[in-house]
Order: sequence, then C-alpha cells, then structure tokens
Amino acid sequence: MLLSTSSDFNSRSKTITVGVLLTLLLIFSFSSLRHESWLRLYDFFLWLETTPFGVLGKTWGAVFAIVEAVHLLAMALLGGAVLISDARLLGWCFTDVPAVKIQNEAHKVFKVGLVVVLFTGVFMACGVAGKVYWLPVFWYKMLALATGIFFVFFIRRPMLQRNFRELNPWVVKLVAVSSMLVWITVAATGRWIGFAGS
Amino acid sequence: MNEESKSQRMMDDVQVAAVTVSASIIVFFVVYWVIQIQSVIDLLELAYG
Repeated sequence: MLLSTSSDFNSRSKTITVGVLLTLLLIFSFSSLRHESWLRLYDFFLWLETTPFGVLGKTWGAVFAIVEAVHLLAMALLGGAVLISDARLLGWCFTDVPAVKIQNEAHKVFKVGLVVVLFTGVFMACGVAGKVYWLPVFWYKMLALATGIFFVFFIRRPMLQRNFRELNPWVVKLVAVSSMLVWITVAATGRWIGFAGS
Repeated sequence: MNEESKSQRMMDDVQVAAVTVSASIIVFFVVYWVIQIQSVIDLLELAYG
C-alpha cells in the first residue's frame, strides 16, 4: 500500500510539484503575505545599493551603460535561442533539420545567455535597487523570469528530451507558445523598467 | 508494472505538468497585458482627451 502510494507520487511528481507551487503562488499573491514580504525586503534593497556592485553602478554611469549593453546583448542571445527552438517546435522554420538537434543546440546558447543575463541583471539591480523596489513592473519581471527558468529546466527541457513521437503534438505546440510568451514578458517588462525608472 | 508502461506514465506526468504550467502562463500573459494596455489607454485619454 505504502509502496503503491510512493510509486504513484513518483510517477506524478512533476504534476504534483506544479500543483503545489501554483497553489502556494496564488495564496501568496492574494494574501497579506505578499505585502509583508515586500515591506521586509526594503532594507535588503537599500543594502544592495551599498555593495561594491551598487556603488560602482551608481558612481560610474559608463560602467552601468556597458553592463546594460552586455545585458541587452545577452537578452538578444537568449531570445534568439528561445525563438528559434520554439519556432521549430511550431514548424515555422528549419523543418528540414531534426527538432532534437535544434533543441539541443539552442539550449546551449540559451544557458550562456541566461547566465550572462543573470550576472549583469544583478549588477544593474544593485545600482538602482532603491528605485526598482518601488516599481511593480520589476516584481512582475522577477515573477516572469523565475517562471521562465522553472519552465525551461523543470518542464520544457525534460519533456523535449524524450522521443518526440511519444509526445502529443498539441502539447508540444502549447509549450512552444507559452515559452515564447513568458520570455517576451521578461524582455518587455525589462524594457518597461527602463521607461518607468527614468 | 513493466518499464514501458512506467515510462509511459512518466511521460504523461511531464505532459500534464507542461499543459498546467503553459495554461497558467497564457492566462497570466493575457490578463497582465490587457490590464497594462488598458491602463496606458486610460492614461493617454486623461492626458490628451
């Protein structure tokens, strides 16, 4: 009986994890927890501005501009990898190349882009931490980014590593569309921070 | 349970999880951007009539 329950959990572990995370996210979003957590983070954001990254970003505008340029280039790299792999899943391009090959190569590029985006993003956030803290769009970007990373490494990549013939084509297309939407949101909210903060 | 049916169930698991997350992302995307676009339209109407 216990073995059967354990086996059921293992065979549904991803679905159960997703269900639990979505429930926790909804509870967090629609309760006072969200506001309380936001208030508690204020001191942390003020401290970020006093770190070497924060001081460097605030003091030398040229350094901030160069890091921002690298951040945007890395976003282009990441976005290109996402668009190519998702467009291939939707059958929009490179249909003469096996989808698995495109996914594997694009994922390598995606990982490089993501690492650079995260490093440069943290640097930039330190420089303007006291400002972005007050921008709702910054928090939506963080939510979209966390969702995108979780989606890629916990759902999309494990699913696409299986034999494509075993996958429902509609599920593959749905994953491709939602992948594009979540990374478009990350990019668009990032640009919005630039407008909102000026 | 043989290995093949176990593998089939694991595949179903990741596909169900994929559908759940994808649907949540699409719903959030539509709601979020509709609200944002509407608020920009309201702001422009306030500014320029």
